[in-house]
Amino acid sequence: MRCRQLALVFLILIFAAPPGRAQDNYEIQVYGSDLVDPQHTMVELHSNFTIDGSKTIVNGVYPTNHAEHETVEITHGFNDWFECGFYIFTSITQGQSWQWVGGHIRPRVAIPKKWHWPVGVSLSNEIGYQRRQYSVDTWTWEIRPIVDQKIGRWYWTLNPTLDRSFHGESVNQGVVFSPNFKFSYDFTPRVAGGLEYYGSVGPVTGFDAVSQQQHQIFPAIDLNIAPQWEINFGLGVGLTGATDHLIAKMILGYRFNF
Amino acid sequence: MERRNFLALMGTTAFAELARCMGLRTPPENPKADITIHISPIEIEVAPRRIIKTTGYNGSAPGPVLRLREGQSVTVDVFNETRNSEVVHWHGLFVPSEVDGSEEEGTPMVPPGGIRRYSFVPRPSGTRWYHSHVHAGRDLKRATYTGQFGFLYVEPKEEPGNYDAEVFLALHGWDPHLDSQGGEGNLEVTYSVYSINSHALGSGDPVRVKEGQEVLFRILNASATDQHRIALPGHKFRVVSLDGNAVPVPRELDVIEMGPAERVDAVVRMNRPGVWILGEINDQTRNAGLGIVVEYANRTEAPQWNPPANTPWDYTIFGREAETPVPTGGVVPLVFRKKFAGNRWVDHWTINGKSFPKTDPIRVRPNSRYRLRFDNQSDEAHPVHLHRHSFELTRLAGKATSGVMKDVVLVPARKQVEVDFTADNPGPTLFHCHQQLHMDYGFMTMVQYGS
Repeated sequence: MRCRQLALVFLILIFAAPPGRAQDNYEIQVYGSDLVDPQHTMVELHSNFTIDGSKTIVNGVYPTNHAEHETVEITHGFNDWFECGFYIFTSITQGQSWQWVGGHIRPRVAIPKKWHWPVGVSLSNEIGYQRRQYSVDTWTWEIRPIVDQKIGRWYWTLNPTLDRSFHGESVNQGVVFSPNFKFSYDFTPRVAGGLEYYGSVGPVTGFDAVSQQQHQIFPAIDLNIAPQWEINFGLGVGLTGATDHLIAKMILGYRFNF
Repeated sequence: MERRNFLALMGTTAFAELARCMGLRTPPENPKADITIHISPIEIEVAPRRIIKTTGYNGSAPGPVLRLREGQSVTVDVFNETRNSEVVHWHGLFVPSEVDGSEEEGTPMVPPGGIRRYSFVPRPSGTRWYHSHVHAGRDLKRATYTGQFGFLYVEPKEEPGNYDAEVFLALHGWDPHLDSQGGEGNLEVTYSVYSINSHALGSGDPVRVKEGQEVLFRILNASATDQHRIALPGHKFRVVSLDGNAVPVPRELDVIEMGPAERVDAVVRMNRPGVWILGEINDQTRNAGLGIVVEYANRTEAPQWNPPANTPWDYTIFGREAETPVPTGGVVPLVFRKKFAGNRWVDHWTINGKSFPKTDPIRVRPNSRYRLRFDNQSDEAHPVHLHRHSFELTRLAGKATSGVMKDVVLVPARKQVEVDFTADNPGPTLFHCHQQLHMDYGFMTMVQYGS
């Protein structure tokens, strides 16, 4: 009974708080449900350059215009239902040297493939810190459910993500809904192309006005040059004034057999 | 009796009656069959606490070794005690299409709960086998992924018996699943555990031998999808038969390579006393169970494994170095290609540009002889199988040969293989890749007899 009460209090704390919002351009990726294979380690470099972004300091956060964000992600697969990832975020902004921004940990569980569900399902939890100069919120938690499916050459994935700030300006804003989705088509065994969408529409208890929401569309290409490599390119266009207008992104990943 | 139970009983009775009317149940007045096979769900403990739930023959996997006499008629009753229609294929026998065990050829399926009687005259002699021949697709709990396989040995009218002991070894993978190997490639079948006969390496009884014995190993690759390379460190295999047919030139080798459905008969002179592992030369596969202990009498030490020399496998070394003239029926080119269906998806396969059932049939005239030219334009080897006939290898990757008779040949990636066969067993005849995932996704065609 005590556990149930604690859980209820916990949920109330998360969901009853006022809304907050979150968008970062450190890792721009719609997740698929697949985990890193057991006893394998995936190392990814996320390189994102904001071609056209904010040009002034806003709420104490450095401008994003012409900012180069480099993120290292290391994920280890433990078994067929659990993996854990770690992030190191860095940024090179105008007038600043290469700066450490923060770090996250991301445990993720998934429905094992051997259950033969018609769709892939996993749940990612990402918790971490980022410096105040780079985010209005320094401690955040992201819960990312993931559902995906491959049908022949077509692939789709949906990440109806929930973000929560624990320290910073948005701490009283509660849970923010940040849906992402992607669909792609395998043109050849080596080249797939499609669209990725990243949004942040505001608190789950009441969405922001559309002009205050963030919506980005990325035409993206995935290259499958070898089983151990992951390569993704995209060019993102912001659809609202609250979104960075133009971002180029690249993900370069390699799977190690350890 | 509850209404639900009554309806269930009525349904079963009605179904059984329907099956009898369709000739799928053995009429009670018929005499008892020579052989009875029950297809049913089974559990096998391949290793301690490693239980595999599958489907088997007569409660086991492999099924019993069936020993038949060449030319002596036999009747087999097959009882299907599963929830799916099944059919048993008599692999390597020259039998009529209606009993060969392939729905595509017109053999009636055995419905769930049904019985079917097969009557045939077994020939030719040699190491054959029997197995399920149904479509599995992505359902890896069916067809050759299961325990539905067993040896069928057709004894010749005169058995020379030039050996002291005979051992049947069937290789198989268990717990199959589709995997893209962690990347974005196409889906392939992988297995978590392997066995020789019903046990993984280290479980079950060893093969017990005595120094000085000549042991004939009849080895069957009963895997649904995998090639295997087998060695017995410290010993040599004298290969005497391929697919049950005596080879013109027996050879001594360290390693035997086998595609799915292939059989090799090899005599081993037991002249290195000790305890050895006969198994797959790939460490990962062998450690996952594909091996069996060979134990000399009065030896109790730990089993030894030494990596053998990596000698390439070449069918032509068992044949005669002779160019065979093109048969009068001519050459039938068959081009094998992969058709990309999407990453993390199962590829489709084509023969001459078409996938089954849209493939063009191979049209033959009775008693004519033809050359089939297999042109593998894919990056994978294919164990192609011709039902109800044998063929003679005539050329492999440009090298001429003759005298090697087979019913399955592994066509290497990006290579050509030519075989000659005589159309002397009229009736619809299936030709397909014996890699279950390939045959289920288009790699099949029919040989059609005509005037």
